[in-house]
Amino acid sequence: MKLNKILIICTLFLLTSKRIFSQTFTPLNVPEAYYGVTGADGVTNFVLNMDENLKQFRTGQATITGAVNIGTATTNTFWGPTMIINKDQAIKMHVTNNLNESSTIHWHGMHLPAIMDGGPHQIIAAGALWEPYWTVKNQAAILWYHPHLHTTTQAQVTKGVGGFIIVKDAAEAALVLPRTYGVDDIPLAITSRRFLSTTNAMAATLSDNYGDYVMVNGTLSTTTNYAQATLPKQVVRMRILNGEIQRGYNLGFSDNRTFYVIGNDGGLLNAPVAVTRLAIQTGERFEILVNLSTDTVGTQTLYLKAYNSTTELTALTPGQSIFGWPGNEGNPSNPTGNSGPLNGGLLNNVDFNIMNIKIAAATTTTTPITAIPSALISDTYWTTANVTNSRTITVGGGNGGSAFTLDGSLYTTTMTPKTVNLNAVEQWTIVNNQIFGHTFHLHDVFFKIISRSGGNIGTTIRTFEQGWKDSVWIPINGTVTFIAKFDDYADSTWPYMYHCHALTHEDEGMMGQFTVNGTMATNANSVKTAFSLYPNPSADKLFINLSDASTAIYYITITTLEGRVAMMLPKPQWQNGIDISSLSSGVYLLKLTDEKTKSVTTKKFIKN
Amino acid sequence: MKKSALNLGILLLCFALLSFALKPLSQADKTIKTFRLKSTENKIVSLSDYKNAKGFIIVFTCNKCPMAKLYSERLNNLNNKFKTQGVYLLAINSMDTVAYKEESFKSMQKKVVREKTTFPYLQDKKQEVAKQFKAINTPQSFVIWKNKSGKWVQKYEGVIDDSALEPKKGNNYLEKAVEELLQNKLVSNPITESVGCRIFYRGVFDKMR
Repeated sequence: MKLNKILIICTLFLLTSKRIFSQTFTPLNVPEAYYGVTGADGVTNFVLNMDENLKQFRTGQATITGAVNIGTATTNTFWGPTMIINKDQAIKMHVTNNLNESSTIHWHGMHLPAIMDGGPHQIIAAGALWEPYWTVKNQAAILWYHPHLHTTTQAQVTKGVGGFIIVKDAAEAALVLPRTYGVDDIPLAITSRRFLSTTNAMAATLSDNYGDYVMVNGTLSTTTNYAQATLPKQVVRMRILNGEIQRGYNLGFSDNRTFYVIGNDGGLLNAPVAVTRLAIQTGERFEILVNLSTDTVGTQTLYLKAYNSTTELTALTPGQSIFGWPGNEGNPSNPTGNSGPLNGGLLNNVDFNIMNIKIAAATTTTTPITAIPSALISDTYWTTANVTNSRTITVGGGNGGSAFTLDGSLYTTTMTPKTVNLNAVEQWTIVNNQIFGHTFHLHDVFFKIISRSGGNIGTTIRTFEQGWKDSVWIPINGTVTFIAKFDDYADSTWPYMYHCHALTHEDEGMMGQFTVNGTMATNANSVKTAFSLYPNPSADKLFINLSDASTAIYYITITTLEGRVAMMLPKPQWQNGIDISSLSSGVYLLKLTDEKTKSVTTKKFIKN
Repeated sequence: MKKSALNLGILLLCFALLSFALKPLSQADKTIKTFRLKSTENKIVSLSDYKNAKGFIIVFTCNKCPMAKLYSERLNNLNNKFKTQGVYLLAINSMDTVAYKEESFKSMQKKVVREKTTFPYLQDKKQEVAKQFKAINTPQSFVIWKNKSGKWVQKYEGVIDDSALEPKKGNNYLEKAVEELLQNKLVSNPITESVGCRIFYRGVFDKMR
């Protein structure tokens, strides 16, 4: 009998110890930094290629992925480079869609003309080159880029198409903050995926909006192998994006240490906010400081965690669990894994590790930051006193599994946009009398949240939600009001979007559009714009000779005779010629849209 | 007697229902009509050209897809292995040439030279053959076999193997299916789920806008 017991104890010990010792780590992928190439004209060029790709995520079949690569590189197999840009920098993007289907790239959080925004209207056909450009007006912040083609956003983001944008400015540079990219300043795109057992494909249907395996910057974790960031023994800055399809994260560290929120969607806060938990919903970004200066070098026991369990949730949001906050997941009794039914998922309603942190020696090439600053910047925000117009948007639908709506309508690209006057300071109230929480995202400008009422996360605005936001959590039965100024860019033709950033909801039509209308008169005459192209044939540069020199060009599209779109040039800077060197030789059509009349005139040219 | 007849009736009904329920799993009734397509050597290739053929390996592939690109050598090997046994490999490019400049006939010709391809690479410019097979992505393989009445019957549909990035490490479903057919055995895995780049049909408003 005794021997038996000993044997059982020994077996149990061996089994448990095997589990402990079989814990392994995969180094966290830190996306490459991309500063672009500045030309003689002072414009910094970024050459981005959206790729079909493959990645060996699991044993067996390779997973079909999508990635963004710099130029002709093929190194990235999931996600893309981090573009690092300065405020006031003139930039031009050269985006080639090398996926085998249409797409768009939206610069999430960027304040820019609607025609450059990359929303559902700026469709980049397979194989086409899109060249938007603008001067960066954003203050220092963490932004990101991702596909935004209506009905296919979830599928293309699931594949991995996307990346970060870091904007820098003088106010941020004057502060004592960690900012050595990849060393003490790391971006973390947190998301999760479900893999189909038959093909290892990443599932992207309505039933797969909650992944089974968490990944950070495309580095996948399982229960026995975690993504591991090696970070120096000092204050470290993490720029965190919830890049999920639908799941929210209630972030914290495994030892419950205090950390400091220093920024969110639109840039730095005026002062750090100390927290032990941080809720981040789809599309939202937070910058945090974590003090590792008293940790022991070489240890790998600290984890960034999702505290998404029912216990945590009940403590935060009494009386609410299903589709509530923080994970927004379905029934906790249904975590059935990769063949699971709607809203099932291995990570649903549980606390789980997101990423391991291994402590390295403090940096020697840069002076380690060892203290949390007490103050940051001094932004002032809109108040109700500034408001010139108010409107209310109501969330609807969702009954019996039907799609969620905004103001009772499902999105179509041709729906009548709301109109906002240029320089208006508007107060928007989003009402959600709903069985589901939603993340409301506004394009073009940042807003200041001024109130939240009803719902299950209290009436106060959480301290880490101060500052400029472009996405806000509207809880079940909650109402949120924010104020934004629609400045700088007007265009009565191309709209901006507002929508739920749960990608399934967005794809199903929980989206609307608005134009910002300025004073420019529009003219509906369909007068043809007279112009000629020279030299013709041309090998690299094509010049436009307009008969009426005052004509402003709104858009140029270059297509093959068969109709394949090769280049898309919003408001092209045509005066110094159009670079057509990327085209293969042949006959092309140049379609010119006039700014004033929006009429299209077509001319043929030959590329040598 | 009556009772046993009733039992037999129920039993037969059960069999009928069962076979009806199993029917979608069997590909025995999917026959393929012969087709004529142009090869990269500018020859018209048809199934009926191969008088002694027992079967064909039909692989929908293309020039641009990263998954398809991984299989060039493996397809050459399969063709070399089976062509002497009366099973011929035909690769078909059904991608929309209007949408993708990389899928032009010229690019197909270059690929064949570059990869020393040992089997015909055919262009399905009208996408009709892909529609007949209901091909959905590249690479996607099919095995068709001649039945007693001389018709081509589909015996396998799916992946070439399940280890695109690690050749020889996985299950070679396509190869195994052909081997089983050559031994007059039933194909043990007649359908596997293929993965790759989607084939979009021209004029279908879907993901090509």
